Amino acid sequence: MVKIELEGLSTHIAGTGDFITVDKEKCNRCGRCLIICIVNLWKKDEDGLAYLVDNYQEKCVECAACYQVCEAGAIDFKYPAGGTGVVFEQG
Amino acid sequence: MNDYDIIIVGAGPGGSMAAKTAAEKGLKTIFFERGRKPGEKNSSGCGLGPRMWREFPEMMKELTPEKCPSMRAGVYARNYFVNKDDKVSAMILATPTESVTYEPAKSFITMNCYRSEFDPWIVEFALNAGAELKTSTLIVDLIKDKGKVVGVQDEKGVKYYAPIVIGADGAISIVAKKAGLREKWFHDHITLVPQYDFHVPRENIDKIMGDEALGIWWGVNFPAAYQVFFGDGFHIGLGNWMHFWDKNPLYYVNRCIGIEHFQKLIKRLDAKPREVQAHLLPWMPYPVNTYTDNIMLIGDAGGFPCPLEAEGIYPAMVTANIAAEVAALAIADGDTSKETLKLYEERWQDSSVGIEFDAGPELWNIWSKLPFHQTNMQWFVPMISEILTGIFDWSEPHAIRVRQMISRVRHYLPQAMPTLIQDVLPLVSNILGDDLAKILDPKMLTSMVPLLMNLMPKPKKKRRAKKETPKEVEE
Repeated sequence: MVKIELEGLSTHIAGTGDFITVDKEKCNRCGRCLIICIVNLWKKDEDGLAYLVDNYQEKCVECAACYQVCEAGAIDFKYPAGGTGVVFEQG
Repeated sequence: MNDYDIIIVGAGPGGSMAAKTAAEKGLKTIFFERGRKPGEKNSSGCGLGPRMWREFPEMMKELTPEKCPSMRAGVYARNYFVNKDDKVSAMILATPTESVTYEPAKSFITMNCYRSEFDPWIVEFALNAGAELKTSTLIVDLIKDKGKVVGVQDEKGVKYYAPIVIGADGAISIVAKKAGLREKWFHDHITLVPQYDFHVPRENIDKIMGDEALGIWWGVNFPAAYQVFFGDGFHIGLGNWMHFWDKNPLYYVNRCIGIEHFQKLIKRLDAKPREVQAHLLPWMPYPVNTYTDNIMLIGDAGGFPCPLEAEGIYPAMVTANIAAEVAALAIADGDTSKETLKLYEERWQDSSVGIEFDAGPELWNIWSKLPFHQTNMQWFVPMISEILTGIFDWSEPHAIRVRQMISRVRHYLPQAMPTLIQDVLPLVSNILGDDLAKILDPKMLTSMVPLLMNLMPKPKKKRRAKKETPKEVEE
């Protein structure tokens, strides 16, 4: 097994605004968002509810998998503001 | 001032193609890109199929290495079969065969190039045709008047009006959502595709890979992974439906990269990880809800990637063209209701994209039962390795080798038969249609028996005097 260090493997333009939100009332603690996020931006609080790390805007690759996988409908995904967010030079 | 005939949300290959065709039809056209330039938000979709050259020759002849330095033709595709011990147990090298009918399909399987170069290239055709492009602009909503869509609104509140809006905004399509066509995908209709880009010095790829610019790693311990070589790098990625993932998706990509054979390749090429990427990719048995009043969805937004190999750009361009043509007709008629736009569905169903989806449910099923099904791959990989390469072996007299191979294949048959009958046969039957019934016609088969019996070789007298018991593998 190899482990590739993800630090420095994506480019981000600041100014995204808040583009992922979570409704803790709806979260059913299933943990699917924690598994699916390739850059590990989801954590669980002491009650087992999902929350996003503070600087998620600087790391998110905008795949929207967390939004798609959330069966409780707790996660909302909007795209970052135009001209900001992840940039794929070799996409 | 912000009045248009048609609005296209998204400036990927589908959006640009729709904008080009619409503008050529004389429609006042605007299209939107949320990135600073087209292509910078995209990962993958980077294998261009030869049908693009056949069907859009005037455009494609202008795709040159000067404009897209990352271009590399995938003339050969190496298929690596990777067993449960993460060892490469067989390989086959594929290239266009005799039955391929036209150029450039005879010359390459795919033309690979980065979206960061391809998308800005294709957008120029739309601009030259007279379409207006707004970059760094995120469309967040549809504007409705008396329940009818009349335009779109960007994040700053600026409104743009048109009687038709085309959703070319990818898998998570805001147009589809706001139009009520799709809230979310079913979990087995969409895949997550994690991927790395590796940098490789160009001369190393030229020297070591040559025109073998495609690799497919059929694994037991990871879903089938693809490797696509570009001018100075390669992608390695894989995908699966949403319910598959039981740990960080990159674990499975790392598992593929970690196998000894891959590590040797990395060393030979002097490859270094350069970018990490992920995207959602619709993988549907059949696209549904692709239009409604004043709205049409094209490309990934409509669920059109090919259900066998997930080719995305060609279906996006084909559906884009159809949508723009239907839009022109609808606008000329002054009727953009869903009753008129049904023509869009009828036309894509009749197109090469629709033909691909005729066998969509069966193709979808094969993937779910084999390359995306780790338990089934446990028999598939060793069985296919025996069949394809088992005879090339000096361990025993070849007659004994054949018996060993047959014995081994027989060992896997009880596991394989249910999948072969339930999943593979329906696909063959769908594709061959009536021909299958003819081939399997009992009368015809019975009439063949005496003929075949006559052709059967008679047992030969052995030169050896003493009979030996051949060694065979234990079952």
